[in-house]
Formats: sequence, C-alpha cells, structure tokens
Amino acid sequence: MTGFSAWLAAGLALLAAAAAVDLVAGARRHLLSALPYLAGAAGSVCLVVGGAGALAGHRATVWPAGVLGPGTAGLSADRLSGLFLVIAFGAAAWVSLGFANWARRGGRAGSGGRAGSGGTNRRGLGACYALALAAVAVFLTAGDAFTLLFAWEILTVAFYLLAGFERGKPDRPAAALVTLAFGKASGMALLAGLLLLAARSGSLALASFAHVPASGVRTTAQVLLLAGFAVKVGLVPFQVWLPRGYAAAPGPARAVMAGVAVNVGFYGMWRTLAVLGPPPGWATGTLLVLAGLTAVLGIAHAAVQNGLLRVIAYSSVENAGLILAGFGVALVGATIGDRLLVAAGLLAATLQVIAHSAAKSLLFTAAAGMESAAGTDNLDALRGVARLAPWRGTGLAIGGLTLAGLPPTAGFVSEWFLLEALMQQFRVPGLGFRLVLAVAGAAVALTAGFAGVTFVRLIGMVVLGQPRPVHPDLGDLRVGGRAAVVGLSAACLALAALTPLEIRVVAAGLSPIVPATATSGALKSPWVLQPVFAGFSILSPSWLWIAMPCLFLIVVLLTLGLSGRRLLRVRRVPAWRSATAGVTGSARYTAFGFANPTRRVLATVLHTRTDVRRIDAEESAAHVGYESDVIEVVGWYLYRPLVRPLLAVARAARRLQSGRLDAYLAYMLIALIAVLAVVIALS
Amino acid sequence: MWALRGLRNGVVTTRWPARPDPYAAAVRGPATVLAQPADADDRLDRLCPAGAISAADGAVRLDQGRCVQCGRCVEGRPDVFGWSEGPATAGLWRGALTVPEFEETPERLDALRSGLKTRAAALRRSVHLRHVDAGSDGTEEWEILALFNPVYDVHRLGIFLTASPRHADILLVTGSGARGMAEPLRQTYEAMPDPKVVIAVGTDAVSGGLASPTYAVTGGIGDIVPVDVWVPGSPPAPFSILHGLLLALGRLPAGAGRKAGSAAAGEGARP
Amino acid sequence: MRVAPDTVSALWDRLADEVTAGRRFAGLFGSARPEGLVLSAHLAGRDGVTMAEAVLPATATSYPSLTPRLGAAFWYEREICDMFGVIPQGHPRPEPLLLPQPPDGALRPRPGEAGGPAAIEPDPRALPLHVIGPGLFTIPHGPVRSGVFESIEYLVETPGEDIPHLNMRVFYKHRGLEKRFEGMTAADGVLLAERVEGTATVAHALAYCHALERIAGAEVPWTAALVRVLHAELERLACHLDVAVRLADAAGLAVATARFGWHKEHVLRLVGRACGSRFGRGVVVPGGVSRLPLTGPGELLSEVGRLDRAVTADVAALMGTASFLDRLRRTGPLRPQRAREHGALGPVGKASGYSDDAREFRAYDAYPSLGLRQPAPRAAGDALDRLRVRWDEVAQSFHLLRQVADELAEAPEGPLRAECGVTDGRAAGWAEAPQGEVLYDVRLEDGRITRCHPRSASFHNLVLMHELFAGDILTDFPFIEASLGLSIAGVTR
Repeated sequence: MTGFSAWLAAGLALLAAAAAVDLVAGARRHLLSALPYLAGAAGSVCLVVGGAGALAGHRATVWPAGVLGPGTAGLSADRLSGLFLVIAFGAAAWVSLGFANWARRGGRAGSGGRAGSGGTNRRGLGACYALALAAVAVFLTAGDAFTLLFAWEILTVAFYLLAGFERGKPDRPAAALVTLAFGKASGMALLAGLLLLAARSGSLALASFAHVPASGVRTTAQVLLLAGFAVKVGLVPFQVWLPRGYAAAPGPARAVMAGVAVNVGFYGMWRTLAVLGPPPGWATGTLLVLAGLTAVLGIAHAAVQNGLLRVIAYSSVENAGLILAGFGVALVGATIGDRLLVAAGLLAATLQVIAHSAAKSLLFTAAAGMESAAGTDNLDALRGVARLAPWRGTGLAIGGLTLAGLPPTAGFVSEWFLLEALMQQFRVPGLGFRLVLAVAGAAVALTAGFAGVTFVRLIGMVVLGQPRPVHPDLGDLRVGGRAAVVGLSAACLALAALTPLEIRVVAAGLSPIVPATATSGALKSPWVLQPVFAGFSILSPSWLWIAMPCLFLIVVLLTLGLSGRRLLRVRRVPAWRSATAGVTGSARYTAFGFANPTRRVLATVLHTRTDVRRIDAEESAAHVGYESDVIEVVGWYLYRPLVRPLLAVARAARRLQSGRLDAYLAYMLIALIAVLAVVIALS
Repeated sequence: MWALRGLRNGVVTTRWPARPDPYAAAVRGPATVLAQPADADDRLDRLCPAGAISAADGAVRLDQGRCVQCGRCVEGRPDVFGWSEGPATAGLWRGALTVPEFEETPERLDALRSGLKTRAAALRRSVHLRHVDAGSDGTEEWEILALFNPVYDVHRLGIFLTASPRHADILLVTGSGARGMAEPLRQTYEAMPDPKVVIAVGTDAVSGGLASPTYAVTGGIGDIVPVDVWVPGSPPAPFSILHGLLLALGRLPAGAGRKAGSAAAGEGARP
Repeated sequence: MRVAPDTVSALWDRLADEVTAGRRFAGLFGSARPEGLVLSAHLAGRDGVTMAEAVLPATATSYPSLTPRLGAAFWYEREICDMFGVIPQGHPRPEPLLLPQPPDGALRPRPGEAGGPAAIEPDPRALPLHVIGPGLFTIPHGPVRSGVFESIEYLVETPGEDIPHLNMRVFYKHRGLEKRFEGMTAADGVLLAERVEGTATVAHALAYCHALERIAGAEVPWTAALVRVLHAELERLACHLDVAVRLADAAGLAVATARFGWHKEHVLRLVGRACGSRFGRGVVVPGGVSRLPLTGPGELLSEVGRLDRAVTADVAALMGTASFLDRLRRTGPLRPQRAREHGALGPVGKASGYSDDAREFRAYDAYPSLGLRQPAPRAAGDALDRLRVRWDEVAQSFHLLRQVADELAEAPEGPLRAECGVTDGRAAGWAEAPQGEVLYDVRLEDGRITRCHPRSASFHNLVLMHELFAGDILTDFPFIEASLGLSIAGVTR
C-alpha cells in the first residue's frame, strides 16, 4: 500500500478503534471518556493527509476493487474526493478536540457534580460520532453505487442516533424521527437514481454511469440524485428537519452533523455533475430558484429565532441556499458549455462550503454545553457570553462574523465570489437562464443584508451584551475546546488572507469537473483575485488583511495624538436613561425586541402573528397580554396536511403486523412467488 | 413645492446682536426702579405679590429675580417703578439681578467672570444646549423653542439643541424646582461632561416665582445645581434668553451687559 | 375606619343617573373642611355646571370607588388619594399619581385645610409592569425628554417595535399650586391662575374670574368682554400653530416647521403689542379687563387679515403633503364611543365626534353675541382628524377675531371692569381653553381664597393616552403626543 493509501487506511482504522473503545470501555472511567474523540481526531488528521495526497494527484486507495463484493470498486480517493476529505476532516479534527473536552467535563453541569458517573449516560455517543465520521469517509472515497448507498444509510443511522441520543429531553424523540424520515427519503431517492443508472450502464461502478446515453432515464436519475443530496443539505422544501435535528443532538455532535457531515451532500452534487454532467435546463432553473428561496427563508428564520441553537441551525439552511446558488451557476455554465462560468460557479460554491464548514463547526463547538449549563438556550438568558465565558464568546463572534460575510473573514471572500458569479448572468444567452440567475442573485443579495442583522443580534446582544444580574454559569471551554476555537477561528481568518493558496487547492480538487487552468483564472496576480472572468472586478483579501489593521492603527494613533492625554481618561457612568425613576422588568433592548422589525418587515415570509388582548391577572397589575409568533411556512403548509394521511396509511399498514406466524409465512410465500414470477417473465 | 414656498418671504431672521433689532430694543423685561421715592414709604413692598420689592432703610430695591411682571408696582407707583426695556436682563450672580445694583467689588466680579470664561473658552463658536423642565408653567419652553424658529434662528450663531446631556455644553433649566424633578435634574447635570454651564431661565427658576413656597417646590433651582447665569422674566422673551446665552459664552462685549432700565442696552452688542 | 357608604354611594348614584341622562362628568375633587373631607363632583350640561357633594367623616380612611361605575373618574380619585390619603376601594389601579409616597405616608397636603407640611419629598418607586409576554422590555421616555418638552415620563412597554401599552408617570413637575392658592386675596389669585398652565393663560384667568364674578353677581362690560374674547382667540391661534409646528417637526418637514413657527411668532408678537405680555398676562382681571388693547382696532383687523391669508395658504399646502398625511392617518385613533364615555374635551373630543364646546353650550363673555360658526364634527378620531379639527378652530378664531375687531371699533367708551369686591362665597367658573374646557371651583372666606381647584382640560384628556396606541409603532409616538396638544403643567399643577 503506497504512502497516502496508508494514511487513509490508518484514518479509517483509528475511527473504528474509537468506536470500539467507546463501546467497550465506554466512558466508564473518567480518563477514558475523552479517548474515543482523541482517536477520532487522530483519524481525521490521517484522513486529511491522505486526502491532500489524493488532491496532489497521488494514488490513494484503501482497498482495491472487488474486496467488498463483486461489482464493487473499492475505496479510493481521486482529486475531488481528496478536496472534500481535506475540507470535512480538517474541520472534524478540531471538532473532535472540542468533543473530547466536552466529554471530559462529565456531562450536564447540573447532575450533582459527580464527574465520573456523569459519563455513564454518554456511553455510545463516541461510537455514534465515530460511525458518522467513518460513514463520511467511506462516502467520500466510494467508487461504486453499493458502497455509496451503504455509507449513506450508515450516515442516516448515525444521524438518527446522534439526534435521539438524549432521548429523555423534550422534543428529542420527535426530532430524531423526523431526521430519520428525511434521511430515509433521501436514501430512497439515491437508491432509485443509482439503480436506474446501474440498470442502464450494466455495472455498479460510478465511472461507468458517465456512458449512459442521454435519455429520460438519465434525466430522471440526475434529478433523483440531486434531490436526494438536496434533502441532506436542506434545500427548500426539505429543510424542515435541519433545525430540529441539529438542535436535538448533544453538544459538539451538532458540529459533526452540521459542519462535517453536511459536506457529503455537496460532494454528492459535485460528483453528480462530474459523472453525469448538467441536468436539463428546467431542473437547473428550478434549482436556482429554490436555492434563492432557501437562502431567504433560512435567514429570515435565523433572524427571528429566540434560541441560539435554532439561529445557528437556520443559518445552515441559508448557507445551503447560497452554496447551491453557486452550484446552479456552474450547472448553467455546463449546460451552455462555458467552462469559465462553470469554474466561477463551482469556485464560489466550494469556497462557501469551506467557509461554512469552518464557521459552523466553530459556532456549534463554542455553543456546546452552554445550553445544558445555563438550562436554556434562549438568547436573552445567555447575554454577556464574552464576559462570562470569553473563549466561547470569541468563537461565537468569529463564527458569526464569517457567516455574516464581513471582511476580512473567509465568509466575505466566498460571498464576494458568489455574488460575482451570479452577476455573470449577462454572459448567458437565452432569457430563461438570465431570469433565474437574476432571481437567485437578488435573493442572495437580500440574504446578505439580513445575515448582517442576524449576526449583529448574536454578536452584539448575546456575546457583547451585559450579563444579567443573576447570570447563569456558562462554563467556559477547557484545553480541548480552546484548541478547537483557536484552530477553527484561525481557519476562518487565515483562509481569507491565504485565499490564493486556497484557490489553487480548490482548482486542483475541481479538476474532474472543470480543468484547473480554468479555475486558476481566478488568480489575476499572486495576491489579487478576480471572478475567473478577466476584466470584471478584483478583490485582494490578503491586502485587506494588511490594509485594514494599518488603517485602524493610523486612526488610533491620530486620535491619541490629537486629543492629548485626555483620550485615556475614562469616567465610567451608567447609561443615560433620561433620568427615569426606574422600571421593573428589563429596560434594555432584548434579543426578541431586536428581531421585531425583521419580524414585521418579513411578515409575508414568516407569517408573523401578533396578538394583544386584555387579560385579568389578579396577582400582578398586568392587564394586557402580548404574543408574537412566526411559523415555518413550508412545514405548515406542505407537511402538516400530509401528517394525517401518513398516519392513516401507517395505521392501515400496521394491520399487517398481526403477530401471527401463519400470516408471516403467507407473506413470505407470496413474496417468493412474486419474485419467481418476475424472474421468469424477464428471462 | 415646500422649497419654493420657503423662499417666498425672503429673509425674516433678525441680525441681533450684530445689528440692532427694533423688537429686541422694545422687549419688556422685569420691572425696575426708575427713581427712589421722594417720601420714604414703607408700604411699597406690599405692592408686589411675589415679594420682589424691599423698602428697608429708606432705599427701595427690586429683585428682578423675583419679579413676575404682573405690573402692579408700575401701575401703583409709576414714579418709582417702570418696565426695563431691552433684552439685557441676565446676570452672572444672583445679586446682580437686584436693582439698583449693589456695590460689587471688582475682584468678585472678575473672579466670577473668569471662572465662567475659562469654562466657556472652549465653547465660543459652537455650543450644544440641553433643556430640563423642573416645574415650569409651559411658557418658558415656548420661548426657548422660539429661539429655533426662523425669526431668531440661533443656528446662525452656532447654538444647537441636542437630545442627550452627554453631548451638551449648556444646561437650560426652567421651572420652580419641583421636588420630583430635583433628582432627574441632578442626574442630568452629572451626565453632562465638563466644561458645562448652567443657565436658570425664568423667574421661576431663579427664585421659585409665584409658585413658591409650597410643599412641592424648592425656591428655584439654585439649590439643586450650581447656576452660572440667571435670566429673569416671566417668561423671559427669546431675545433675553439669547442675551443670557451669549453672556454665558462671553460673546458680548463687556459694556453690553446688564444696564437696568436703560433703553440702549440692547443695541450695539457684538457677537 | 370604613365610611358609612350611604353618603358617598348616594352621590355616586346621583352622578351615574345624571351622566346617563346626558350630562357630562366634569371633575371630582376633595376639600378638607372642619366637618370632614368633602368630595365635590362637577357635572356639565347645556345649562351650565352644577355641583354635587358628599362628606366623608374626618376619620375615614377609604370609600367606595366611583371608577368602576364611571371610568372618567380614574385619575381624579387617584389625585384625591394622593392629596388626602383616603383609599378608593375597588379602584382598578390605586397607584399614586401626583405625589408618590409610601402607602403609610403621613404627610399629605390636604388642600382646603389651613397650613400643611412645608415639604413633601416624593418617593418614586418603579411602576409594576402592565403587559406580560415574551421578550418585553420598557423604554422610558423622560422625564428629561429629548427636546424642549415639559417633564413627564412615558413608559413604553414594547416587544421592540409595536406599542401594546403605554404607561405614564406624571408626578415629576407637581408644584402643589392648590395649596399656594390658599390665603391669597381674590385679586392675587388671578396671577397664580395665569401660571397654572401658561400656554392657556387667558383661559385659566377667564375661568377663575368667571367664578369670582359669579360669586359677586357682577356683569362684565361689553368692551371688556370683547377684549377677553380677543385675547382668548389669539391664544387659541398660538396653541394650534404650536401643535402644527410640533407635528411638522416630527414629520421632518423643515420648511413647514419654520413657516408655522414664524406664524406663531407673529401671533405672540401681536399679543405682546396689544397688552405688553406675549402671553396675555395681566389682561384679565375679576370684573373685566385691565386695559384696552394698545393696538387700535384698525391695526388689529389688518394684522389678523394678513395672518389669516398666510396661515390659510400654508395650511392648504401642509394638508396636501401626502407623506405628512400618511403619518397621521389612522395613527392614535380614539374611538367615538370612548370619547363620549370619557367626555373628551376640546379638539380631542371633537375629532371623535364628541363636541361640548363651552363657547357654544355654556357661552360666556361676548360669545353669545358673536357668530361662532361651529364646523361639522369628525368621526375617525385619529391624529389627522385632530389636526383637521384644529384647523377648523383656527378658521373659526379668525372669524371671531374679525368680528371682535369690528365691534371694538364701535364699542362705547366706559368702564372696563365691573365692581367685583366679594369676601365670601363659592362658585364654579369655566372657559374654553385651546385644549378644552377649563373649570375652576373657588371658595372665598374673608376676602381670601380658602380653596381653589383648577381642573384643566389637559388633566381630563391625558389619561386617554393609554388607549390611543392601537397597532402603532415607536415612530408614531411623537405624532400621537403632539396631536393631543396638552400641557403637562396643567396636568400636574
């Protein structure tokens, strides 16, 4: 086994070992509770190295074709796989460190403080975590349909286990069930698509699907595959499981789900484009419109949620929309045969994948354990994180800035690329594509604005706000968590300065789809970038990283110089409140109140309902009751009406489970006869 | 459409204090002592319902800081009392509002003036006002607001109104010092950054006016915050308030200060 | 000790009957007399203002509240509780209004009783919340407001943008003037009455003098009546122009703000030229006026005509500015039924279809002989209608002023004041201020005032502010406040 293949194999082996350690020795001992995660971190590092090798063009094969069964192609990584291995497991390494930290702290802070036994109810979490990572690794290196589906189903199971891990808490079982349902639905779509292709091409190998002739079957398969992956990443109308599933998972498992595992969906779409090419125009158009809609819906909900975890989860929905908008541009380019447009779209989308992966992992790692320590994840209850838990606050702040797309973070660079790619719509002939690109562009621009509002609320009120007089104990991060915050923050910030290097890496990774020379056209000069097309616009985040701090320094020096010594004399006084005699309740803007204008402005998207009515409360002087609520339109109008018929069907199907042996024997006989009949008919 | 409408009537803004203004010269200030009475009459002090007149030891004195401009003394004894004309009614210390003036020692006056002058040195060209109502009857607020209408337009003199005391330089206080407003007034004063100047606007603020004494007012705001300029009048005309402002900023030449009863007081003051 | 309920309840029954019969509840106040605490209620109708009283024994600490039966008594009973310490049983919100003190505070001003505490320090405590719900917080506006305003605190309980409820604390500029009146001579009382609510100086002086003239049975000479009407209408003009200035300023129309400010300055200068004081102080005295206007009728007529033309042109332009009207339309609506129940005074009531103009229905001075030309009532009750009512009143004032100027030109020479020397008696006097009807209840003993209760329209109307916020947001707040056009000095006295 050559070098990089060994690294891949080592990574997988370490993940398996992590699962084993957790199941066997399981968090019974305090010292061993962090071991699975450390092993997972080491495994992730190995996978990163292996992936980097594959990216550079070296051979990286874990085992060759035929080992898992006839027709299978084994696990091997080509450049695209290598790119996503680096992205996913680069984030996973840091997340694992944070996970180790969280597991060592012994669970819920309120559980009587018995550090040792706090882990008994954590047993198995490490195994689920390792299972998820292993499934991701297998999926990224799979070369044939069977392995692909196998890994996908394992990932669905892992998500189910993670989401339902704390099944004693309210809403967790329902959330896990919804996660499983959507995971199964996506698996079904993938199964159908892949089987169609396998039937046409005669083999299970992914590479052979490229030769399926263009026909209704190929189109159907493309659409099914894209739909299956879209469920994973949370495109409208499949996004309803994302907030519930992510919020239900314990601690840093959310980071694994949202920052590491979500990349398989994107990888799947990239691979579909590489193998099968672009779908027909109507599908591309639909994807672009849905992507725009997803982005707007996601950020609208993120801006008005009252819980920290929901805010971050809905931000994932928004980012899915953004990334798929870039992917849509690439599809348009592939349809019209413009390589540069494909490169522009894919580059933007991949950069956004990287930035999102880093930032989302950072956000969920920084928020891990805050909810259990404080007892609630209400934003108003968590004010003052920067003062109470500075490391968490830094993580939240930098992650928030990145997702809001503020310079000089990596999120800014990727959003710039995305908007520039969408602006290339004038190069596209034909009104249809131009129209949908314009719609998607407008939606993305709207999203960028509201993303600012959302994260200002998060950073300004929650991180930088004044803690409450009776503030909860948020429990700051320890060594592992701090390392995770440092690593991921450095990724968010340094990737912006090192964007040229990043683009070269991405160009190498995208070469199965579009030649690296085309993607490298984004590098106008060593430190200046352009959106692949020359002469349109330029950006230099590296120079930004030099210029912004210099300007800040100049301003500070000027102020210090011109003001004499008076600048450093500070008189601390309470805020001016127009000399009021005091109010009961809060006199400061709450996070709920800050989102109120957004609730009103976006009332059509959010279906805001406000209710003011007279109430009679004897014990207090209150005589007016106020309520305001938003509803999730897709869930309300699309899925809720389906629940009753589904339950009716399930109840009807349950009659089959009569528990009687003779009934089951009869079913088996009928199934056997049917299979024989089909085989006889077909041969 | 509004822009054209605004240009229709030309310039209506007064040029005072750079140029004399006939309305300013005719502004009726508090009552003043024109001449000492020929006969030493001890009952002169009963003419005033606000207790502004004191007729002790033969000399009739009128404290303009207590005068509510009711006109009883002017109608009752037009030989002794009359109206002061012109906007120059403000004084730099409480005793300066008594007519005829006390013998002020030059040192005390210079000390006062220089204390105010150093504080106002940084504020000469551009200054922000903050107003607090400590129990007025509503008319002083109208007169202060009138300073910002196009006739007086103090923006041309670099005087602006600000919403927060943290940005304010001058505190204008009206009202008799209602006890409910004592603490808010103190808080506002504390909230203002140094250097700051306090101007008591109106007879109510200077001495409590006719509303004092009751259980709910102190005698003017002088007990609550340290006052630098006292502007009498019930209510003082906008030109008088403006004179008080410019006096606080030191933008009136020395001779253009108070001249009780002089009709020439309002003219010729340079900014 | 609980009071024997029959006296007070009998009074409440009578009030309820009269109100059902069509009279308007015009005020309730207390006086500390030797026989106990006398609760006096005023009822206004077409035939004038009548009064009904009940006596609480001196040892009584509480009495059954009127507010559950007659909602308009809401603030009056709280004021009685502050002044005398008697608790209205059954009052929905018995919190301090003008004198926040601990509930067992021993110091009470007790107007009507000679003497009293030298100083009562207010003890403000935080008000309890009135709205419950998620994410609510309170924005305090005041008492130090962000412009040149009178001191009052508005506590906006909001979830961030809408205003489900507004709370007010009005005690800050309470001056205790009702105690200051006691001991003054009748002539000096006019001076203090002028300073109760300075922006309605002439109206307050008129109401006070009407009370004295009713006690003395004096008849005001015709010329004096004309001069009184002149100053009252000029004051009305100034107040309505001030409301327009504040509304235009809130809407950001700089030119309109400047122009209406200029017109208001013209009115004030005209008043100053006519009587020496920009606010009409010193003109109205018991029995008549102190002097004729210093400007002749011809000059008055030409000035009024010029003002009329200028103001009418600017009003037409302002009421044609769509962006301005949009800010006012459906902002701060007062339902007509509510206005009628409460007896809303002045332009606030007229905008909601309830008109009880004292100049028309209980006419005084020269109003019976002058053509009033009352405009048609409005129905929507929002800020736009309140402004429209004010413009109607402005047109009406110009019409009245022209009539007065004409009449003054032909008025006979003669005394300007009737003989009004009284030493004992009690009566109520009223006048229509720009904010609404002002009511004075004056009791004289030995030529000195022993009890003078000024009830300004601002006090009666401000309590309606609680109910004006129906779906409005924070930026509508200055419009609603300015459209009411009330003076806090009159509320707190």
